[in-house]
Amino acid sequence: MRVTICIGSACHLKGSREIIQQLQNLVSQHGLTGQVDLNGAFCSGNCMENGVCVTVDDDLIAVKPEGVQEFFEKEILGRL
Amino acid sequence: MVTNDATILKIKHDVLYEVAKLAWEGKMDEKSEIPYKMIPGPQAQFRCCIYKEREIIRQRVRLAEGLCPSGKDSRNVVQVIGAACEECPIASYVVTDNCRKCMGKACQNSCNFGAITMGEHRAHIDPNKCKECGKCAQACPYNAIAHLERPCKKACPVDAITYDEYGICIIDENKCIQCGACIHSCPFGAIGSKTFLVDVINLIRAGKRVVAMIAPSIEGQFGKDITVSSWRTALKKIGFADLIDVGLGGDMTAAYEAEEWAEAYKEGKKMTTSCCPAFVNMIKQHFPQLMDHVSTTVSPMCAVSRMLKAQDPGTIAVFIGPCIAKKSETLDLNIMDNADYALTIGEIRAMMRAKGVELEPEPNEDQQASTFGKRFGNGGGVTAAVLECMAEKGIDNNVNVMKCNGAAECKKALLLLRAGKLPADFIEGMACVGGCVGGPSKHKTEMEAKKDRDTLIGQADARQVYENLKQYPMDSFSMHRK
Repeated sequence: MRVTICIGSACHLKGSREIIQQLQNLVSQHGLTGQVDLNGAFCSGNCMENGVCVTVDDDLIAVKPEGVQEFFEKEILGRL
Repeated sequence: MVTNDATILKIKHDVLYEVAKLAWEGKMDEKSEIPYKMIPGPQAQFRCCIYKEREIIRQRVRLAEGLCPSGKDSRNVVQVIGAACEECPIASYVVTDNCRKCMGKACQNSCNFGAITMGEHRAHIDPNKCKECGKCAQACPYNAIAHLERPCKKACPVDAITYDEYGICIIDENKCIQCGACIHSCPFGAIGSKTFLVDVINLIRAGKRVVAMIAPSIEGQFGKDITVSSWRTALKKIGFADLIDVGLGGDMTAAYEAEEWAEAYKEGKKMTTSCCPAFVNMIKQHFPQLMDHVSTTVSPMCAVSRMLKAQDPGTIAVFIGPCIAKKSETLDLNIMDNADYALTIGEIRAMMRAKGVELEPEPNEDQQASTFGKRFGNGGGVTAAVLECMAEKGIDNNVNVMKCNGAAECKKALLLLRAGKLPADFIEGMACVGGCVGGPSKHKTEMEAKKDRDTLIGQADARQVYENLKQYPMDSFSMHRK
């Protein structure tokens, strides 16, 4: 599964680095390193007000640092 | 330095400059003015009309912002600027004026596909029958048959370039290893790479602690008087908090790779280096079954980034070098705490120019890397550093390394490794000819810069790798991938 997190400056300021670190930890804790491929992305201009741009497969989802756990369970574990 | 796109380079740099200028001023909303500013008209200078010229500039601006030029989203770092592609003729073998329509007809007789007929004045190759074997060109005693290949396609080491139905260049993203070899091969400047320039400027403007990390291959690129200190001074002027020489990362990577090599050698396992991102991409995408052979030591860029973030987790690490593929390495988030962004030499210079800052001569005051780390960016430099580390540790370093200079040699070595026929114990993979100093975004060629580079590195003291690393908190971060 391909998960892409925007690392553009706007998303950086909204906490993309924190989201990335949390996801890296969650993926390795759940032993999913072989299944979940974490990628960065240039800003695609789809900036959203309510969070950092994250795409799972092709779906664009707004994620906040405090909502990573929920996002991980629903959108990553839920789709595997 | 003469490249296929020498004249277009000025336009490319002017676009980066204009974008950087607006970004520094916080006026990116005025970006749609750039094409009009750069192409005032009414006469077209290079293309059919000013409207096409302006469209090309608009697409270049998008690329400078990190967007896909066409608007169609794709994840590749290397991108085709569709409007700038001149749809070069694709007919590969053509008969030129040199043809004397001779009586021997060696071309016709050598063709196994019946593709050659005799026209009124010269031989003719039927493109539908021609299989591009090249036998006719070899056979012609007048050298009358030319091999026309698109420069982009010719430059690509992994055969990732094709064309659409209109003849416009397409990059196959599953094959592209982001080496950037095609970028300066295009005589119309129709290939470029997405940049992080605006992002880095925005973060500096937002008051973040942004630290520059310069590639060891930069030393010598701007003459013997432009030192690492010159870079540090200039980059501090534009708002970077500090600068680290990634040659130090070279020392770190070499030290850990030495241990890995020694271990692998004992087990009889063959191994490859991991510092060149285009080489790693080549293995990942074209030789996935060899991933187990790739050293698990992180690249020098990642090593320095991890050290910086261990010291201050809020640091934003920005790599600067002649490399395009490093941008793709920063996008691989399976590696923790790697550099946040990578810029090319051209991009950082545009950022400096837009602020009116130049590189000034300055004696080097602080040596951060050993000469082995500093030479990491030369072909054979990684091997030399790793062997030095083995020697310093008292490990027998009589190992056989195949030093691959350029992507073609890398591919050959990997094919041998896959077939189980690699004569060497280790592979040093450098996707650019000459190593990083031959990178696509270099300012001067390896030969042009060699004397100044040797002078600058010659001024460094002869400290050993492990001796140098003692000054740094090596136990505060991991040197392994993950």
